[in-house]
Amino acid sequence: MVYGLWFMANSAFAAERLIEVKAKKFVYTPNIIKVNKGDTVKLRLISEDVHHGFFVDGYGVKTSAHPGQEGSLQFVADKAGRFNFRCSVTCGALHPYMIGYLYVSPNYLFWGGAFLVIFLGLISLISALRKKQKDERLKLFGIIPLDWRFPVTKFKPVRALLKSRWFPLLPIIFNLFVFTIILMAGFIGGLSAGNYNFGVMIVWILWWVLLMTFMVPIIGRFWCMMCPFPLIGDWIQRGKLVNVGRQKSWGLGKRWVSKWRNLWPLVVLFWVSTWFSGFFTVKPFATFVLLGAIILIAIITALFFEKRTFCLFICPVSGFQGLYSNFSLFGVRSRDPEICKKHVPKTCVVGSEKGYGCPWMELPYEMNRNTYCGLCFECLKTCPYDNMDVVLRPFGQDLFAERRRTDDVYNRRGTDEAFKALTMIGIFLSFFLAFQGPFGHLKDMVTAKTFGGYLGYLSESFSVDFLLLPGLTLLFAYLSKKFSGNKEVKLKQVFVNFAYCFVPVGLAVWAAFSLGIILPNGSYLLHIISDPFSWGWNLFGTSSIPWTPVFTGIMPYLQVLATAIGLLFALDFGYKFSLRTYATVEEAKRGWVPILVFLVGVHIFFIKLFTG
Amino acid sequence: MKKNEPVAALLIILATVGTVVGILAYEKYARSGLYTVELIARSPLNGNWLARIPGGGWQSRKFTVPYGEETAIRIRNIETVSHGFALPDFKVEPPINEIKAGEVKIVKFVADKKGVFPFMCTVWCSNEHLQMNGEMTVE
Ligand code: SF4
Ligand code: SF4
Ligand SMILES: [Cu+2]
Repeated sequence: MVYGLWFMANSAFAAERLIEVKAKKFVYTPNIIKVNKGDTVKLRLISEDVHHGFFVDGYGVKTSAHPGQEGSLQFVADKAGRFNFRCSVTCGALHPYMIGYLYVSPNYLFWGGAFLVIFLGLISLISALRKKQKDERLKLFGIIPLDWRFPVTKFKPVRALLKSRWFPLLPIIFNLFVFTIILMAGFIGGLSAGNYNFGVMIVWILWWVLLMTFMVPIIGRFWCMMCPFPLIGDWIQRGKLVNVGRQKSWGLGKRWVSKWRNLWPLVVLFWVSTWFSGFFTVKPFATFVLLGAIILIAIITALFFEKRTFCLFICPVSGFQGLYSNFSLFGVRSRDPEICKKHVPKTCVVGSEKGYGCPWMELPYEMNRNTYCGLCFECLKTCPYDNMDVVLRPFGQDLFAERRRTDDVYNRRGTDEAFKALTMIGIFLSFFLAFQGPFGHLKDMVTAKTFGGYLGYLSESFSVDFLLLPGLTLLFAYLSKKFSGNKEVKLKQVFVNFAYCFVPVGLAVWAAFSLGIILPNGSYLLHIISDPFSWGWNLFGTSSIPWTPVFTGIMPYLQVLATAIGLLFALDFGYKFSLRTYATVEEAKRGWVPILVFLVGVHIFFIKLFTG
Repeated sequence: MKKNEPVAALLIILATVGTVVGILAYEKYARSGLYTVELIARSPLNGNWLARIPGGGWQSRKFTVPYGEETAIRIRNIETVSHGFALPDFKVEPPINEIKAGEVKIVKFVADKKGVFPFMCTVWCSNEHLQMNGEMTVE
C-alpha cells in the first residue's frame, strides 16, 4: 500500500525528457544529463565530426550517429544513480575514454556510500576510544594477529619449484614472448586505434588492471618475479642464463649514488612518466617507444651499475609495486634468526654455487619489509639450511615493521615512501578525472592539444601530488600532534607514520579505477588476441566479437565497496600507527581523531568521485 | 647441467626472433594467397588510400587488377575513425557500408569490365572526406 502510493507519486511526476546531445571528439555536449527516476528519456544524438556512438552503462541501450545522420534513443530511466554514457564507435585515439554522466535522481548510492564511510569512521572512533591499554599483540581488525605467518614453502613441491634454477626463468621467457608480440604490435600499429591494438590493450588494460587488483595486493612484486625487462641485463652481468657463473658482474658493477638509495628516484620517475599517459595509453607507437626505452635503459643500467640497480631505482612502475607490496599477503622471510646469525659468510647476500647473492641488494636473512624484494627466489636457492620461506601473513604486516639496519638500501619507513603513497593518490585523481570523467577540456590537456593546456595539466598534477595532498596530510598530522599533547615526537615522524594509511587506500582506489577500465573495455581483449596486428587474423575465432561492456550496472557499487574496504584497512592501521607514534594510549586516542576525520573526509570525496 | 645454457638461449631466441620471423612468415606466405590487392584506408590528410600490389610495392590512390578474374581486396582501416568502401561500377561481395577503426575486411568481385573505375570512402571520416577516393584500373 505504502509502496503503491509512493510509486504513484513517483510516476505522477515522471516526465518525458527530450534531450539533444552533440558528440565530437572526445566530448558530449551536454556532458552531464540529469533526469528523475521514472522519466522517459528521448534522446537525439548529433555528430559534429565523425561516427560516434552513445551507450548507457547499466541500461545497456545504445545508438550512434554519423555526421548529418542523427541517432535516436528512447528508454525509461528506471534505475537510479549515476551512469556513464560512453562512445560505442571507435572515433579516435581517446575513444574508450569519451564519457558523459547521466544522473538519475535520487542518487541513493552516493548517499548510501557517504553514510557507510561516516558509519565506518564512527565505529572506528568508538572502538578506539574504548581502548584502555596497549595490546600485547597487534591484531588486524582485532582478530588476526599481525605477526602471524604461515610458511607455504612447508609444502615440498613448492620449495622444490622455487629452488629450481629454471624458476622463475621460464615464466620470464614466456613474458619475453608476450612482450615481443606487444612491441611488434605497437610498432606496426603506429597511430591506429589503441583499443584495437594488442600492445596497448595488453599493457594498459590487462596488465595494469591485473597489477592493481591482484598481483600487488596479494603477492607483492609478483610481476617483478616474471618481468622480462631485466633479463638481458642479468645475462650480461652474469654471463649465464640458468646456471650460476661468477658472482662479480661482467659489467662495471658500479654502486648507485647513496643519496638516492631510496624510493625518491621512483617517486619522481613515475610521476614524470604520467606526463605522457595521454599518449602511451592510447597510441600503439607511443607504447612501443615507452617499452623500448625501458628495455634499453634497463640494459644500459645493467652494464654500468651493479645487480638490479635498474629495478631498485629507475623502473617507473617499481615504486608503487614495492611500497604496496608491504600490504600484500605473501613475503619471503627467514625462519630461524639463530641459524642466520651463525651462518658465515651469508650466502643469501654473497651468493654460492647454487645461486646469486640477492640481486635486489636486500639482506634476505633479516628482511622484514617487502619494498625491495623482487621475489626472484635466489635466497631460497642459496640458503644451505632451507631457512628461507615464502610466508603467508595478514594484509599489511610490513607496514608496521621497523628496520634494524638502515645503512644500505634504505628499506625503512621514511618520507620517500610517504610521498610515494601520497603521489599515487594524486596520480589516481588525475587519471580518473581525465579517463573516466566527462570533461573534454581535461582530455585535451593530457593529450597536449595545446601546449598551454599541457603545461596546465603538468602544473596541476604537480600541485596536487606534491603540494596539496602532502600539505593536507601535514596539516592533519600537525593537528594530530597538537591534539595528542605529545611534545617529544617529531612532526615529520607523525606525518610519515600516518601517510602509510594511504597504502591500502591507494590500492583500493586504483582497484576501483581499474574496474572502470576493464569492465567497459575488457571485450576488446577478445578481439586483439585473435587479431593482434589488425591484419584480419582470427586465431581463436573471437576477432569479430563486438565491443561488449559487462557489469557496468554494478560497477559503481563495486567501486564503493573497494573504497570502503580501503577505508576499513586505513582506519584499522591508522589507529595502530597512532599507538606507535605516541607514548600513551590517551595521547594516541586524542592524536587519532584529526587523522580519522581526514580519512573519512577523503573517502567521502572518493565516493563522490565514483558515484556523486 | 651443461646443456641448460644453450637450451635457455635457444628458448630466448625462439621467444624473440623466432616469434617475429614466424609471424611475418605466416602473414606473408600462408595468408597472402587470400587476396589480390591490399588497400589501406586513411583520411586524405594522413595520406589517403594506399594500395599494395603483390610483388609490387605501394601506390597512392590507385591500383591495377587483371581483367576477367575474381579479385579479392583486403581493406585495412588503420586509423582511429570509421571509413567505408565503394566501387560503384562493380558488384562487390559482401557489400560494406562501414569499416570501423581497426577493422579489416575482404571484399570480392569479378573484374569483368576493362577501363578505369573510381573507388571511394563512404563514411564521413573528416572534413576532407570527399577527397578520399582513387582509381582502379582493370586490364
Ligand atoms: S622493477 Fe620494473 S623492470 Fe624490475 S622487475 Fe619490476 S617491473 Fe620489471
Ligand atoms: S630477498 Fe632478494 S634474493 Fe630473496 S627473493 Fe627477495 S629479491 Fe630475491
Ligand atoms: Cu566517439
